[in-house]
Amino acid sequence: MSSDTRQFGDLATQLVMESRRSTQTDTLLKYNDSLVRSLIREQRDLEKTAESFETSDRDPPPALLILQTVVIRNKRCLLAYHAHRIDRLRDLYWAVGGALPHILSNQDIRSKLSPHEVDYLREYNSSVMEFRSEFSHELDITANITNPPKDLHVLVHVVKDCGVIQTELGSIDFQKGQRFMDLAPLLFNAWLIPLPPVSQWACLTAVQSEAVGAVVLAEST
Amino acid sequence: MASASARVAPIVETQEEDTPLSQLCRYWLNERHAPDILPAQEELLSSLLDHIRRQSEAVQLLRGEPSASEEEHIRIMLVQMEVERVKFIVRSYVRTRLFKIEKFARFIMTDATIQTRITTAERAHASRHAHLTDRHFHNSVLQSLPETQSHLDDAPVFVPPMITKPDENRPVFVHALNDCAPIRFHEDLTLEMKRGHISLMPFSFIQSLLAKGDVELI
Repeated sequence: MSSDTRQFGDLATQLVMESRRSTQTDTLLKYNDSLVRSLIREQRDLEKTAESFETSDRDPPPALLILQTVVIRNKRCLLAYHAHRIDRLRDLYWAVGGALPHILSNQDIRSKLSPHEVDYLREYNSSVMEFRSEFSHELDITANITNPPKDLHVLVHVVKDCGVIQTELGSIDFQKGQRFMDLAPLLFNAWLIPLPPVSQWACLTAVQSEAVGAVVLAEST
Repeated sequence: MASASARVAPIVETQEEDTPLSQLCRYWLNERHAPDILPAQEELLSSLLDHIRRQSEAVQLLRGEPSASEEEHIRIMLVQMEVERVKFIVRSYVRTRLFKIEKFARFIMTDATIQTRITTAERAHASRHAHLTDRHFHNSVLQSLPETQSHLDDAPVFVPPMITKPDENRPVFVHALNDCAPIRFHEDLTLEMKRGHISLMPFSFIQSLLAKGDVELI
């Protein structure tokens, strides 16, 4: 085996520690591709060693038991790391009210995802959209559920041109510097059909998630 | 004194009036506190959704009415507000179920009894989600591992199973709505809950009472 003094399972422990750090600091860490790859390499090496034990004529040595345990543990840690990440991604997805382009156009987040995770998010989004269409006549299930609605209208200040947005009450043309009272349906129901291009979508979803971005909620005076 | 107590009684009764909304609130709270997925309330939910839609249409119509007075506008606003608040509860209820369904997606696909408790749309979502997660694991990990390790359903000894199941032993707070049949914890320990009684116990023991509607979770 390799000459360094690494113990079995060290790499896997590092990987799981990363998930734990991510939970404790409540941040999405960058996908650790190199660590995942070296773990997979370790798995292959272990498999080869185990096979050489099994093919020899003598009874398998007790060390085989250790190898198998390490293989199982490493695999479990690998899966746990990926499962933890997609849980976080789903949380992120719901936190912005299911506005996928908003996540994917954010360079900071995008750089932390693996290509498979981007695919995962896209497919997850279409799955949720299909489920959502069950309710589309009455309400939008992807809207905010952290706080019950307290007011019908919210005053917003538009800080970036958004274009025309279809709301439940008709279309509104958002232009920079304007103020509107009518945004509550947008905030609560998020029933909007944005016009292309994608950048407009992104600033709309900022309203929806109440993230102070393109459109900020102004103090009601 | 007698007349005072007679006057008190009806107040207590009106509090317990069972409107569809109060029923939904109860199911919503139960769902949020239960570790398992509870039976879907399709009829209740669809009647409420119908109601919401009719109400919203009526509001739209009235808003367009030019002759409406100031006072009527305030009333319309109150109705709208109420509709929004009901929508909030419906949304939270649906999302709570959705969260559990995603969590137990693989278990749902293997277990027939739990499938009877969810709607067709929820089942479809569970199936999509289980496949999606499997595929993600396969693409990012399993396909690179040696053939013998590339399965998602190993059950090695001393390691928890790979399929997440609802934890039915999780303790829950129970509030008895009616006098309940005795609960048998083990051979010589039983508990008979009277109406109004509140207790903490593992979920598995009150599952049947909850299904009958004799208790609620708080």
